[in-house]
Formats: sequence, C-alpha cells, structure tokens
Amino acid sequence: MFAARYFGEDTSIMVKKEIETMLQVTNLQVAYKQGRQSVSVLDNLSFGLRQGEILALLGESGSGKSTIAKAVTGLLPPSAHIGGGTMHIGSTLRVDMAVGKGRGKGRGIQWERIRGRGVAMLFQDAQQALNPVLKIGAHFRESLLFHRLASPDEVVPISIRLLSLLGFTDGERILECYPFQLSGGMCQRVCLALALCLKPSVLIADEPTSALDTVSQKEVLDLLKRTQKELGLTVLLITHDIAVANAVSDRVIVLNKGAIEEEGDTRTVFSKPRAAYTRQLLSSRSQIAKPSRERESAHSREPLLEITGLEKTFDGKKRVLHDVNLTLNRKEILGILGGSGSGKSTLARCITGLESPEGGHVIYRGTDICRLRGKGKRGLCKHIQMVFQDARASLNAGRTAMQLVQEPLQYMHIGNKEERETLASFYLHEVGITGDLLKRRPPQLSTGQCQRIAIARALVLRPEVLICDEAVSALDMSVQAQILALLQRLHKQFGFSILMISHDIRVLRSFCHHIAVMNNGSFSEVKRASALLHESKQSYTQLLLKCAGDMEEGLY
Amino acid sequence: MSNANHPVSLVSGIVVLGLLAILILGAPFLAPYDPVKQNVTERLEKPSMEHPLGTDRFGRDVLSRTLHGGQTTLISSVVALCAALIIGLFVGLTAGMFHGSIIDIILMRLIDVLLSFPFMVLAMVIAALFGTSLSHLLLAVVAVWWVSFARLTRSVVLHAKNETSFAAARVLGATNGAIIFKELLPKAISPVLILATFELGSLILSIAALSFLGLGSQPPAPEWGSMLADGRDHFMQAPHILIGPALFIFLTVLAFNLIGEGLRDRLDPYEKTEL
Repeated sequence: MFAARYFGEDTSIMVKKEIETMLQVTNLQVAYKQGRQSVSVLDNLSFGLRQGEILALLGESGSGKSTIAKAVTGLLPPSAHIGGGTMHIGSTLRVDMAVGKGRGKGRGIQWERIRGRGVAMLFQDAQQALNPVLKIGAHFRESLLFHRLASPDEVVPISIRLLSLLGFTDGERILECYPFQLSGGMCQRVCLALALCLKPSVLIADEPTSALDTVSQKEVLDLLKRTQKELGLTVLLITHDIAVANAVSDRVIVLNKGAIEEEGDTRTVFSKPRAAYTRQLLSSRSQIAKPSRERESAHSREPLLEITGLEKTFDGKKRVLHDVNLTLNRKEILGILGGSGSGKSTLARCITGLESPEGGHVIYRGTDICRLRGKGKRGLCKHIQMVFQDARASLNAGRTAMQLVQEPLQYMHIGNKEERETLASFYLHEVGITGDLLKRRPPQLSTGQCQRIAIARALVLRPEVLICDEAVSALDMSVQAQILALLQRLHKQFGFSILMISHDIRVLRSFCHHIAVMNNGSFSEVKRASALLHESKQSYTQLLLKCAGDMEEGLY
Repeated sequence: MSNANHPVSLVSGIVVLGLLAILILGAPFLAPYDPVKQNVTERLEKPSMEHPLGTDRFGRDVLSRTLHGGQTTLISSVVALCAALIIGLFVGLTAGMFHGSIIDIILMRLIDVLLSFPFMVLAMVIAALFGTSLSHLLLAVVAVWWVSFARLTRSVVLHAKNETSFAAARVLGATNGAIIFKELLPKAISPVLILATFELGSLILSIAALSFLGLGSQPPAPEWGSMLADGRDHFMQAPHILIGPALFIFLTVLAFNLIGEGLRDRLDPYEKTEL
C-alpha cells in the first residue's frame, strides 16, 4: 500500500505474490584470462536471494564478490570467461549464463531486458555512475521513458516523489542540479532513487558506501534499510566491511577466494562464527579497534611542527581551511578525524607544500615552511613525507619496487649507486618486501604490498614527520591491521612523528596518542585518544562516535 | 585481440613497412624503367607485361615512378612528422607543466593563431619568401603540424598532474625536470604516437596537395602526391595510373597504424595485467 502511493496502480512488481526466491544463481563459474593462463575466480558458486531480504556478500578483495555482481548484470570485462551457470530472476526469467560460450561474455542474452527492471545496480562511486553533463532530472527522464514506465508529463512528479522517499525535501531543486553539485552521499541517494524508479526485482549494491565518510555512510545505509523495508525490496549487498553487513543485512554469505565459507543469519554468523575464515575476519577487525598497550608510551612535549591560523580558499571563494591551529610534538602520533570535505587532505597538502595557504604559518624547527620557495622547499622533503590513500596510483606503474624506493634518494642526490641500493633494500626489507617482490612492478603487486612500498619510499629519506593521508582506508581489514602494526613498529624503531589523517574513528582511537577533530575547515577539539569517547562535548564528535558505534552494535 | 604477448599488429606493421622500404630504397635496381624518361608514343597505356601498372600521360612507367617517388614522399613525410612530434611534445610538456603561467598563455595563444591561419596560405608565403623547394614545403608543414601534438600532450599532462603519482613525486622532492621526463613524458608518449600514425596519412596527402600546387617537389621528379594530382586529369580514360601511388600511400599509412597500435600495447604497463 505504501508502494501504491509512490508508484500508482501498477504495484505488481513491488508487492510480489508468493515468490520465495527472487534471484537464484546456480553453479556459476567464472575465470579470467591472464596472459595465456586462465585464473578461476568463481568455482561452482550457488546462492539464493529470498524475496524482501538484504543479503550481504562479505569478502576481502580478490574474493570474487564484485565478479558476482558483474556476472549477474552482464558487465564482465572481455577477459572474463563464464564456464557455466544459470540465473533465475523472479519466477519467470531464466538466464543461461554461458550463452555465447567461447566468447564468454554472455552475448546473445538480452541484458537490456534484465538490467534496470530485473536487476538494478548501485555502484561504489555514485558521482561517477551519473553522467556528469546531464542534470539529475534528465537521468530520471531517460530511465523512466526508456523503460516506458511513465509518460513525459509524469516524469517530474514521479521523480520528486522518489526523491522525497529518499530524504530529499527539495526534490525540484535536486532535479535541476548536475551531479558535481551534490555531495557523495547525496549522489548515492539519487542513484538509489534512480534504481528504485524502475521497480527492480533485485537491487544489487556494490560497495555502496565505501567511498563515503562515516556520517553519510550511516545516512545512506539507514535509507537503504528503510526503503527496503517499506517497499519490500530484495537487495544483494556486496561489501568488504563487516560493520556495513552488520548494520543492514538480514543474512550474510562470507566469501573467500571464490568459494562460500559460511552462510547464515547475520546475527548468528557474527556472534557465533563457525568458519575459521569468518573468525579471522572478525578478529582482524577487533585487533584494529583494540588500543595497543605501548600506545601510551611517553612522547616528548617538544613541539616539532606548529600550525597557526592557517587559511586556504579555492578559486577565491570556497573556504577550505579557516584558522587552523595544531601542534605536533616530537615522536607523537596525532590523528586528524573528519568527514569528507572537512579539509583534512588540504591541510596535509599545505604542510607538504603541494598547496600554498593564503594566510597563517606552518613552523617546522623555527622556519615557516609555507614561505619557502625553490631549493628550500624541495629540501623540505627530507623532513616531511607523506603516504597517500591510493598506494597504487601514487607509484609509477612502469618501475620496479627497488627503483621506486631509490627515486627520492636520486632526487636528493644522496649516496652513490651502491649506497642507494643498500638503503633501498634495507627499508624494503623493513616493510616486508623481499626477494622476488623487489623486481616486481605495481601492477603485479597487491594493494597492501604497494602501500608497503609507498611507506618504504617515504621513510628512506629518514623524515621526522610522516603524514598518512587515509593510508589504510582503501585496504582490506586484515591488511589494514598489518599496515597499522607495521607503522607502529617503524614508529618505535625510527622515532618519527606521525600525522594520521582518517575518517575512521576506530583506526585513530587505537593508533594515535591524540585525536584532533576537524569539521568545516577548522579543528573543533583535540583530545587524548583514549578519552575522546567520554570527554567530548562537541556535537560533531558525538555524531561521528554515534554513527561508528551504531554500525558496530552487536559485533563484539 | 593483440597484446604484448601476441604482438600481431606490431610485427605485421613492421613487416609491411620493411617490405615497402626494400621496394622503395631498392628502386634504382628494381624499377624496370627510368622514372623521368618520357615516351610519348606509349602514353596512357593499360597495364601490360612491359608496364605492370601502365604508363602516364607522358608515357612514363607508373611502377617505376611509384617506387622512385616513394623515396621523396616517405622520407620527407617521416622527417616532417618526427620534427613536428618532437616540437609538439616539448611545447606541450612545457605548457602543461607550467599551466596558468605566462609561458603557458603565450604558447597556447600561438597555437590558436597557427590553427586559425590557413595552412596553404602559410606554405605559399614561405614559398614566396624563400623560393619553391621540397625543404621549404617541409618547413611549412612542420610549422603547422606540431600544434596538434602540443595540444594533445598538454591535455595529457594536465590530466596526469591531478594524479596521485604526480603529488607523490613532488613530495619526494623531484625536480621539474625529473617530473617531466619520468612522470609526464612516458604518459604522453603513447597517445602522441598513436596520433602520429593517424597524422601521417593526412600529412602525406597534404604534401601531395602542395606538390600539386607546385610548391613542393618540382616536375618531372616523381612523388606520390603529384602523381595522384597528375592522374586526376586522366582518370576517366586511364584509372590505372592512380592505382600505384594510391596503393602505396594506403600501405604506408596502414603499416604505421599497425605499428602505432602495437607500440601502444607495448608501452602501456596496465594492459599486461588486465583482470
């Protein structure tokens, strides 16, 4: 009846008759061609999606969870080969996945009849999923008219109703916006509305909130859950994040290397995991959240980096940083917590000299490093180094691990060829890149290994300050734990200070001495990491804590 | 599908180009007749055993002229293209690296001026100033042709500057030179090479057009473009005189396209491990 209000009389799809299983995938086999070899990704995988439930496919990178989503929507790349399998959508539609065998792309299947109406998809990067040159209204018009779900006059009212269902109070304005004028969370909600306007039998959400910060993540997940309940939607949620699966899903399938490790009710799986792999996933998560014992070890009170009254605007109007004050002590690990758009990355770029601020000072050992130019500015990289979020993109794909780590030494004219090689292999050994891996190039390495190389590359100049800009956010949970442990060990060994930038309160709470909370371009408070939870009076900090807490409820 | 493991296009492109080079460079030995010797009694003859591609309006053997003409056309167009490519890369990298600075603005406006100035008129001006010869024609071609390479390079550089690897190199203390040669140039090379293979075709035709206007190689010296232009007057009666130069232009452009495609697969490190 709720659905009838939003979609008019035709509610045949939304209010399904007695169909038990909405999506049934049987014996799906997918392999990827790699050079002359063929690497099997999914091996005889079967699962069913019951009507009106949210099923979470949980797995780390390489588990084949995205391959499932792509296979079900017919979006596999040409290098993929579907060995076999069938898919049932609803009670009527049966698809033989291996049609067009040999080509392996499911040619011959009329995907345009399945996509949208049968299976709708929600992508990780909503902003990129929308066409940047079309207004939001045009997106709705295109989908509704293509699938003949509305006459041209009805498009606007239907769109506005859908947008209001997803929490937009100003639907008319949103329809007139271009995607770049909306935030990441708003784009994802628009994408959800677009998916819903086709009344799909199944909604596939592929990491729908991974690119969002904690607050918008919570918001989108809550909306997804609520609309799913109200409309009786069937959702296949693909995620690497246990907290996301925990927060919204009814059932969960744990995937590892293309095979199902465990399947069952979300509560049961997370409270009483049967498979060893699930236990391992859960423990690497709690390992990150657990405060380490040595964390409280005393760091000196000697200020190393002092930031006072920093101001930065983009294009002369958009104010990104406003009156930022911060002190980083020697050997301290300082966390900077903030949502997307809070200006934390811009702060990092100002400290490293990638951006020049308009006002204020960044004092490092008595010198204002914002005023440095030319040689002096380049010399700064011996003291302040940075590790980026996307490790793979930060490394030149054409060079080997050894060459990459030697690069900064060459730039700074340190040592001769042999000394540079010795230094590079020492630091690579420290981060756990040895033997055969030294000669590999980034495309042949895992993301975690790339991040290790990036860390070695930053440390080879023996900096006093290491800035980690979301250095672990893009990594799998188990790899996150490894990289954090590695950073902690290196910190103890070499005694540099770390400025850890993250949107993830969990990582910061366990890793840092102090946490500074950033909101709208300035710091709202700086607290001891252990005390943040209890002492904070700031509403923004409380909101962040609450969002993170809600998602994890019942996990430990 | 060709990739680095199966370099079909690269190998076939090199084979075709190699065969062309042997034919063209060996023209003095392979060509059955003197390319400029006229024989008015045998004008516009159809292909026969004596003249495999027939004869032109002065009774010259088309096959011999095509083989000899290749030397002029191929060498001059490749030289002009390389010169344009190097200038274009240099200008594009400089403008992109110092985006928004006065250097960038001056270079970009220069490009606008060159793009809006008619190419043919420029070539005529140069011919009028320095006299008509093939080298002056090439000068005119290079003066205009670098513009497209510079534009492409600049846009690739501006894109690459937004990537994390660029910021990472900056933070690691790379000098401008190191960034240009290690980060930006490798990224710009492959699209520019691909553009070059496409541009070669139109370059050959442009040289031909200018030769037709009498600005390039002077008759009776054989040259593919001027041969095509000559053929235009007689192609209703004797279409065969166009086949020789047209076929060779086609094969040359095809060979370069295949090489460009193969090089792209070679140069792109991501292609090898597509998953």
